[in-house]
Amino acid sequence: MAFWFELVATGLITGGIYALVALGLNLQYGLMRIMNISHGEFLMLGAYLTWLGHTVLQVNPILFLPVVALALFALGVVVYWLCFRRIIRTAPAVEVIEARSLLVGFGLLFLVQNAAYLAWGADLRGYSFLTEAVDVGGARFQVNRLVVFAFAVGASLLLLAVLRWTLIGKAVRAMMQSPTGAQLVGIDTRFLHPVVFGLGLAMAGVAGALLSMVYEISPGMGEPYTVTALIVIVLGGLGSALGSLLGGFLLGLVETFGMHYTSPSLKMLLSYAVLIGVLLARPKGLFAR
Amino acid sequence: MSVPSLSRRAILGAIAAAAFAPAIAPAFAQDAPVRIGYAIARTGPWSAGAQVTQEPNYIMWAEQVNARGGLSVKGKKRMVELVAVDDRSDMETVVRSYERLMGSDKVDLILPPWGTGANFAVMPLAQKHGYPMLSPTATGRKLLGMKNPYFFALLQQPDRMMDALAEFLAARGAKTAAVIYVDELFGLEQFAGLEASLKQKNIQLVEKKSYPIGVKDLQPVLNDIKSKNPDAFIALSYPPDTFLITGQSRAIGFNPKLFYTAVGTAFPVYRDKFGPVAEGVMGLGTWNPKSSAATKAYFDAHVARWKKEPDRWASAHAWAGLQILEQAVAKAGVDRKALRDTIANSEFDTIIGKIRFRNGENISTPGAVSQWQSGEFEVVWPPQNATGPAYYPKPAWK
Repeated sequence: MAFWFELVATGLITGGIYALVALGLNLQYGLMRIMNISHGEFLMLGAYLTWLGHTVLQVNPILFLPVVALALFALGVVVYWLCFRRIIRTAPAVEVIEARSLLVGFGLLFLVQNAAYLAWGADLRGYSFLTEAVDVGGARFQVNRLVVFAFAVGASLLLLAVLRWTLIGKAVRAMMQSPTGAQLVGIDTRFLHPVVFGLGLAMAGVAGALLSMVYEISPGMGEPYTVTALIVIVLGGLGSALGSLLGGFLLGLVETFGMHYTSPSLKMLLSYAVLIGVLLARPKGLFAR
Repeated sequence: MSVPSLSRRAILGAIAAAAFAPAIAPAFAQDAPVRIGYAIARTGPWSAGAQVTQEPNYIMWAEQVNARGGLSVKGKKRMVELVAVDDRSDMETVVRSYERLMGSDKVDLILPPWGTGANFAVMPLAQKHGYPMLSPTATGRKLLGMKNPYFFALLQQPDRMMDALAEFLAARGAKTAAVIYVDELFGLEQFAGLEASLKQKNIQLVEKKSYPIGVKDLQPVLNDIKSKNPDAFIALSYPPDTFLITGQSRAIGFNPKLFYTAVGTAFPVYRDKFGPVAEGVMGLGTWNPKSSAATKAYFDAHVARWKKEPDRWASAHAWAGLQILEQAVAKAGVDRKALRDTIANSEFDTIIGKIRFRNGENISTPGAVSQWQSGEFEVVWPPQNATGPAYYPKPAWK
């Protein structure tokens, strides 16, 4: 029994990490159709900020989270204003936004990644924080992983609640469904767009900050996370906060059980099999409406 | 207006320099510089290894040689000029860059790229163009099996390293071992070596599993292995996973008598990240500053130049490769055929001891095992190279 509990819990924790990584991109791509392929790079920036804060200024990484979130939010508003504002305004259709923002995203990816190489070099960096293990129901888990898990679940549920039950959440969803219609009923998309984009980057930064407690960081760390985020979002359904969370869990569980019963080397095969299976059964994702 | 005045000053400076140049030049009269080309990862996933182990050594060596007045080429001093390219951790860029360096740029010599895979890709080109290559980060029988006369591997081959580990285990009376290995040429080669060595020493392999590089969680696998309670746990791992395996083993309280992780364990960042937790962890290593006066001098120079420490395995091999190149060029010049023959048939003095090659393999440097002890990666096996006694069994995780 304890064995099963541990296996399931490990899978859920890994799944929580995947869901966390996907949160920010889900705001940008899921709700605004901005295909920000440089998502992982901003996650990397968040991780480096936290690492700097912890090693240079000796700040507790958890207390540093709001700083990272604010910094990345501000950066997001600036990036939106410089790069994406024109695309959104001039694009005749949502599909065009996707295609054009993808190109801009690639540019940002190279820019941010290489800036990080210039600033910090290619070396792996890391620090130890909350690496002690705790006993939960007879199984042992590292505290930092539990923190990441708790944050992923909390933030996903919060996002879900905001989108579903608040006026601002409704406005954001309206903006996606019909940009012109949203303007007609008095939704200020000029204000809402940069804010949502900035929130997406803030979430990416926070995810990076949390991950830097668990994994080593390097300027090239972002790309695999972008891929993970895309899989999770597509799996869960574009723009669905609950879908991202459950999609992440599903991936984590499949990987963990697969690792136990087959070989860790089959991990990628299993993840993609799940993705393809879901897409065949529900082409719009598990929780798309 | 400060901008025009600045540029005016710059122009004046340039004119002044041009005017003085002829006067200075005769004092340093010498031949054209020796151009040495290479491509290496400054960005992308390989760069973490390449920028710790390899390129800092290239640059520091060129600076030191030039500060000594240049490279001695059959008695004549010539400056060294490095022609370096960022290969972006991309195999195609590696191949294209070396094709260009040797084919159209016609550099005098080349230095190898980082990693077993990239070296494997460049080897045939080096042979085609006739450039000897002394590789500090390529290991595997498969590479030597190509019988490429221009390829020289500086690291100990997998079977040597794994033989040393198995000998250590046998000497301490270990009976069982569990292994996980990364799904890359490196992991497969090391594992093949280890499996044979353990068998020879009658150590039973109770579990063997492969895993993909960059995996985010190995706790289920480590739990399975913990339940089998082996004397030794050996992870033939790559850098990010080396950290993951250490952290998660500690978390689940898996503390076998021998805990071994492969690439990355010898990196200073491993100690810096884990602090006292690293105590007693073993890994691939050849040397440390205590090994000899020469390694101490190298270590100090590296720290002074780069403000960071070299790794305790391949960094010194990279430096040894440059020393060999320097000694061979002094004898044979930059006639690359003669240079190859000199490298193949002579013995060289390096910071990791005398090195001689046979069929491209460094047959002088013995396999070794190292262990973190109070902040230093002590060489604990073989006894003649050891800088300290081993902790066995490994102390409990801190």
